[in-house]
Amino acid sequence: MEKIIELQNINFSYGAFKAIDSVSLGIDRGVYGLLGPNGAGKTTLMKILLGFLMPSSGSGRVLGFDITTSQKAVRERIGYMPETDCLMPEMDAVTLTAFLGELSGMPKQEAMKRAHEVLYYVGLEEARYRKVETYSAGMKQRLKLAQALVHDPKLLFLDEPSSGMDPQGRKDMLELIKDIAGKENMNIIISSHLLPDIESTCRHVIILNQGRMVFEQDVTANHTKKFNRFEIKLKGKTDGFFNRLKSANCTIQSNNRGLYTILLPKEQAPRDLFKIALESRVQIRHFQQSKATLEDTFVSAVGASHDTNDN
Amino acid sequence: MTQMTIREKGYHSWDGQLQPSTLQWLPMFFNGIKAAFKKKFAKGVFIFCVIPFFVFLIGIYVSTRPELRMMREIVRLLNDEPRFFNIFLTNGTLTFMFVLLGAFMGAELISQDVKFNSFPLYFARPLDRKDYIFGKFSILMFYYLLFSLVPGILLFIFKIIFTGKLAIGFNTLLGLIIVPPVVAFYIASIVLLLSSFSRSARHVKIFIFITYFLTQGISELLVEIFDSSYFHLISIADIIKQMGTFVFNVAPEHRYPGWLSLVVMIVLSLGAYWLLYHRIGKLEAQIESGN
Repeated sequence: MEKIIELQNINFSYGAFKAIDSVSLGIDRGVYGLLGPNGAGKTTLMKILLGFLMPSSGSGRVLGFDITTSQKAVRERIGYMPETDCLMPEMDAVTLTAFLGELSGMPKQEAMKRAHEVLYYVGLEEARYRKVETYSAGMKQRLKLAQALVHDPKLLFLDEPSSGMDPQGRKDMLELIKDIAGKENMNIIISSHLLPDIESTCRHVIILNQGRMVFEQDVTANHTKKFNRFEIKLKGKTDGFFNRLKSANCTIQSNNRGLYTILLPKEQAPRDLFKIALESRVQIRHFQQSKATLEDTFVSAVGASHDTNDN
Repeated sequence: MTQMTIREKGYHSWDGQLQPSTLQWLPMFFNGIKAAFKKKFAKGVFIFCVIPFFVFLIGIYVSTRPELRMMREIVRLLNDEPRFFNIFLTNGTLTFMFVLLGAFMGAELISQDVKFNSFPLYFARPLDRKDYIFGKFSILMFYYLLFSLVPGILLFIFKIIFTGKLAIGFNTLLGLIIVPPVVAFYIASIVLLLSSFSRSARHVKIFIFITYFLTQGISELLVEIFDSSYFHLISIADIIKQMGTFVFNVAPEHRYPGWLSLVVMIVLSLGAYWLLYHRIGKLEAQIESGN
C-alpha cells in the first residue's frame, strides 16, 4: 500500500536550536497521533509536512508530492486546523468558510453550500451568521475544524484540536474526529500533548522528543499481541525473583509506589509468576491484570530518550 | 418523514471537483472589493473620489460651448487634450484622494491578517506569498483604477460626445493607458508595505498620512536648501506630476527629466514589492513560531 507520508532524514533548525533532528518515517492510511512534550517538534514537523517550513536537509513526500517543490499540490489536498487562534475579522463564519473553500479551488456556489454543511456538522449551525471575532474559544476550534474540512481534503492535519475547549466541547470534538476518521478516504494526523485525546482517536502513534522520533507503532497491537500485563506488590528479597523473571523474557517496570508492572510473554501462564515467586521465597501481596496505557508508552519512550541523551 | 441532518448522518464527502487556477488569489480580490463596500463611510469616500471626475466633466462641457466666453482661459486648457488629461490623472487632489483611499481601505489589508493570525488560514490553501500579495494588490488597484482609469476613459468618451469629433492624440492615448496603472501600483505598494509594519490599522493610517506629508515637506525643504529640482523625486505628489508630464509629453513641472520620475516610481514600486514579499515571509514565520 502506498504511504501517504514519507520522510527521509528531515532536519530543521530555528537558528542554533535544532527543532527536528534526522526524522525518517512512513505513514500509511489511517489516523495517526503525533505526541510529544512541549517543544518536542510536533508543530514544526507538521509545518514541514504542510510546506510552511523548508527542511534544512532531507526529503519527503505527502500524498505522493514532494514537500519542497510541490507545496501547492500538497495544500490542495490537505486540510489544516492550526493550533494558534486565527481568524479573519469582519466576516461571519459561513462567509469565512466559503471564502477559504474558494481559495482551495472550489466553485463559488459549491463552496457556499459546503460551508453551510460543514458548519452544521461541527455544531455551529446557529452561530454561522455571527461575526467570528465574537466567538468563544470552543466555537473558534469548531470553526477551524470546519474550514479545514470545507474542501473535503484527503489528509487532515489537526494541531491541538481540543485546545481551550470545555469538557463537553472537547468530548464533541473528539467524537467529530472519530466520525471523520471512520470515512474510507480520510487520513488524519493529530498533534497533541493530551494523551487521552490521542488514545481515544488514534491507533498509530508517533512520539517525538527533542526533535527526534523516539517511538512509532500501532499502540493497540504492540501490547496486546505479545504480552500479558500484571501489576504486583511483593514482600521479601526481590532480586532473585526479578532475575528469574528476566531470564524468562519478562519485562519489569517499577512505578515507585511499591508496585511493579510485569509484562509476561503470552506463551507463559500467570501461575508461572507464582511458581517463580515461591521458588524465590517472595510473597506476592497484590496481583492484578492491567491494560497498557498510552501514558506508559509515552513515559517509557520519552524517558528512554532522556536516558540515551544523558548517556 | 423529516430529512436527516448532516450531523446525524455523519461526515460526508464533497462530490465536486476542485478547480485549481493560476489566478488562485481571485477570491481574495472579490472578497476584498465586497468588504470595502460594506465599510463605514465607504460611500462618502467613494463620492469624494469621484468629485474630480465631475469637475473635469463640467470643464469638458464648458469647453464645447463657445457662448461661455468668460471661461476662455479654461477653454484653452481644456482644448489642450494631453495637458487636460495629464492634469486630471496627476493633480494633487486626486493623489491625496488616493492616499485617503489607501488609508481607508489599504491600512487593514495586511495589518489585520497579522493581528488576527490569518496567515495559516491563507497559506494552508494552494496559495504562496506571491499569490497573497497579488490578492491584496488587486483590491487596491481595482479602486485606484476605478477612480482614475475609468473616469479618464469616460471623460474621453464625453469629449467625443460633446465635440462630435472622434480623434485622439498618441500621447493622450499612451498617457491614459500608462499613467493610471503606474500611479495605482506606486501608491498601492507604499500602502501595502506600510500595512505590513503594524498590527494596528490605526497606526498604519497614521503612517500613510505621515509618509505623504513628510515626503512632501522634506522634498520642499531640500529643494530650497540645495536649489536642486531633483529633490522633488522624494515627494509622492510631485513625482507623479512630473511622470505625467513626461508620458503625456507636456511641459514639465520641475527642472529635471520626466523619464527619471517614471523610472524612480517603477523602481520604488518594485522595491516596495520586494520588501513586502520578504516582510510577509518574516511575519509568517513569526506567527508560525508563535511569537
